[in-house]
Amino acid sequence: MATDVVMPQMGESIAEGTVVRWIKKVGDTVDRDEPLFEISTDKVDAEIPSPAAGVISEIRVKEGETVPVNSVVAVIGSGAAATARTTTPEPPVQTAKATEPPKASPQADGASAPPPAPRHYHDREDEPVAAAATPAAPAKIEPVASRPPANGSTEDAIRERSSPLVRKIAKEHNVDIAQIRGTGIAGRVTKDDILGFIDKGTAAQGRDRQEGQEGRDRQGGAAKPASVSGAPPVTTIAFKPGVSDHVEKMSVMRKRIAEHMVLSKKTSAHVHSVFEVNFGRIAKIRDAKKAEFERAGAKLTYMSFIIKAAIDALRAVPIVNASVDGDNIVYHQDINVGIAVALDWGLIVPVIKHADEKNLVGLSRAVIDLANRARGKQLKPDEVAGGTFTITNPGVFGALFGMPIISQPQVAILGIGNVEKRPVVVDDAIAIRPMAYLTLGYDHRVIDGAVADEFMSIVKKSLENWDPNAI
Amino acid sequence: MADEYDVIVIGAGTGGYVAAIRAAQLGLKTAVVEKQKALGGTCLLWGCIPTKALLEHAHAFKIAQHAKDWGISLGSAAVSIDMGQVQARKDRVVTGLTKGVEFLFKKNKIDWIKGTARLTGSGGVDVFEGEQRTLRAHKEIIVATGSAPRGVPGIEIDHKRIITSDEAVGLREVPRTIVIMGSGAVGVEFASIFNRFGSDVTIVELLPRLVPVEDEAVSAELEKSFRKQGITSHTGAKVTGAKSGADGVDVDILLADGTTKNIRTDYLLVATGRGPVTTGLNAEGVGLQMEKGYIKVDSLFRSSVPGISAVGDVITLGTPGHPQLAHVSSAEGIVAAERIAGRETRPINYDHVPGCTYCDPEIGSVGLTEAEAKARGYDVRVGTFPFGILGRAKMAQETDGFVKIVADKKYDELLGVHMIGPRSTELVAEATVALQLESTVEELIRTIHAHPTFAEAVGEAAHATHGAAIHS
Repeated sequence: MATDVVMPQMGESIAEGTVVRWIKKVGDTVDRDEPLFEISTDKVDAEIPSPAAGVISEIRVKEGETVPVNSVVAVIGSGAAATARTTTPEPPVQTAKATEPPKASPQADGASAPPPAPRHYHDREDEPVAAAATPAAPAKIEPVASRPPANGSTEDAIRERSSPLVRKIAKEHNVDIAQIRGTGIAGRVTKDDILGFIDKGTAAQGRDRQEGQEGRDRQGGAAKPASVSGAPPVTTIAFKPGVSDHVEKMSVMRKRIAEHMVLSKKTSAHVHSVFEVNFGRIAKIRDAKKAEFERAGAKLTYMSFIIKAAIDALRAVPIVNASVDGDNIVYHQDINVGIAVALDWGLIVPVIKHADEKNLVGLSRAVIDLANRARGKQLKPDEVAGGTFTITNPGVFGALFGMPIISQPQVAILGIGNVEKRPVVVDDAIAIRPMAYLTLGYDHRVIDGAVADEFMSIVKKSLENWDPNAI
Repeated sequence: MADEYDVIVIGAGTGGYVAAIRAAQLGLKTAVVEKQKALGGTCLLWGCIPTKALLEHAHAFKIAQHAKDWGISLGSAAVSIDMGQVQARKDRVVTGLTKGVEFLFKKNKIDWIKGTARLTGSGGVDVFEGEQRTLRAHKEIIVATGSAPRGVPGIEIDHKRIITSDEAVGLREVPRTIVIMGSGAVGVEFASIFNRFGSDVTIVELLPRLVPVEDEAVSAELEKSFRKQGITSHTGAKVTGAKSGADGVDVDILLADGTTKNIRTDYLLVATGRGPVTTGLNAEGVGLQMEKGYIKVDSLFRSSVPGISAVGDVITLGTPGHPQLAHVSSAEGIVAAERIAGRETRPINYDHVPGCTYCDPEIGSVGLTEAEAKARGYDVRVGTFPFGILGRAKMAQETDGFVKIVADKKYDELLGVHMIGPRSTELVAEATVALQLESTVEELIRTIHAHPTFAEAVGEAAHATHGAAIHS
């Protein structure tokens, strides 16, 4: 019996995936759960194991091609040799994850107890619904429930508020229609809007064109075709690479980071608050307990202390562990701390779920485990989702402090500067202490300065007055 | 003691009565001052409605004249038309519609004040030549006094032999001969009507082609079709003098080649355009900024005086060629009323105003002509599809004309659609929606056009714009 290999559902909000590499080719024999191909999605890059043993009879999706979740990417025929094989009893991580029942979609759950899963604002609105509605179990052999692929969502979203002509112009100029303020019926982006946008660059948008001044200025010349004559409209986005330039297409990850960073800057009112923390006490504790920890197979890092201090502060100031949903503030019950991990090919933020339930050792282990697996492309998609607060560590590269951008839909991010010895005033004497600047990037829509500083004061106090027994 | 209203509309033509209804719908206490005996203005009383009623008679006559072609036997007597009955039926249609407007006024509790209005400033309106009333508008006055046929210097309109459309529409005889000055919509429509009724028609147009506002290809097609029907067109020609007698007019014409021609004709119809009507309004007295007799307004129809708006044929937006069309007036009336009521409004895009000319063959057009598009700097491509190929047109024996699409090569934007031929005045609606939605030609190509219809020509012309129509 032939088995269809499908693009797996790699997370609630993931609608499509890109086949990056085929590890096997047509005619190859694969064991069940043997790595078959590598994919790249919005969230993670992952190796996908074969759902069945057999001989690959067909590969339908070329490397580099992006297809909706549940599209058949290959077919495995059952060769005689293959059927005789015994399959590995324990499925690997990806399949284990994939066979879990899908979580209820945020939209689907009612007024009942579970806290709403954070919405991924950087995803198209319809994706979470579509994804959650899919009973996807890529590892199972039975045919996948057929449903129309969840593609076209971008197109649909744009369609609502533009026109065929605007979409055509946008495509040509590589303009994101969502950036343009529509003055047409029901806020639709019109030809004049997009030509004006391209002409003026992105900055000059947003004037109220329909009442008042402009209305009078225009004197019925509404029909004027903006900038059609003469030279082609100048765009700040269009860019012509020179001969010696090297042009490379963005990876899926790079594109997601780019989109997410811009979206976050547009979404949140970023403010940063910098505190200086004396790590003298932590350094002492760390030195004292280091050997003990190493014997237990763990590493006691400054990071674990900082996470712990942040968790305590999040408990004390719940607005920092929250999300904004329209006019609502969603306070998260769980404390899921994302830790930014730099990769050679980008950046990923794995999440320590229920971080508040872990002690220093547990946190330390979690950080090391997630970082290692991130670098080895072994993260499960859910391990990079669901964060409620993020910590990033630019100090690792020598930065005194960073001004980090919030990971949406969170409302704050803690940046840790380099811990270095500095002369400081202690009891009116100059002393040498290991010091670091900690930065809280916060969303001023919901967190005011005083609240942010209260949070940071708690972090600072925890770190500077750590109880050596509280490890 | 003044009668108080939120909105006072002056003039009950399409601009005025629609503005009044919309204002009343939005909860404003509204009055309309109208001096005519019936509501509806030019459109209902002398324009759109009566002329199109006559055209239907002309069409019916045409079918009857060709009864044999249709296999219909009408006996041996020659087919003839009774103008008395034509006029009676036309009047019934008109009266029915004006009563309809009266009913709408009652339904929306709009007061019709019979008389002539005079602006007195600060929201005041005096009514005279009818009811003697003093009115006051709390929110706004909308001037919608419209237009009237305009003569030309040196030609004295006596309304008997040298006439305007106002008289032509009520003629109770079929002129043996008629000379028509001007080949705009009014000129060519009456040319078709009278030609069909049996008159010998001569058109004198100052500009080098008929229907000068239309695309050149449309003008050429109309001229060809008129020639086939026996209508004489002198383009690039000028009426230099006209002397009316008891039973006819002597018309002197300077032709394009410099020669002169004298025609003795039953009637001279002056159809050279319409001018604004502001008689007795005291527009300048209250400080309204005027331009060549028109009231100057902004894109939301506010005049230079706060509290006074103006819509329709009487306005200028400061740019040349504000279209004097009933549907433009009513669209403007709606915008003005909604703005006054505090609703969100936006300026009208005058590039998306459809134009319908009910000559035979009909003309329907919207958007830029090929020449206009080029003048605006577009890289233009066009596609044309003749009606004659269509099965539907063959059935109707209406095979003259074509649909022409003007598009921008760069973005495939639909810039204009121009058609001449059967049902063009209806078919233009599709093109208008397409322009309003900022369609590309691709959208028209992918739109399924029902078969067999005249509308197929639109889809085929779209195909032609992209290279080749399917059926040509």
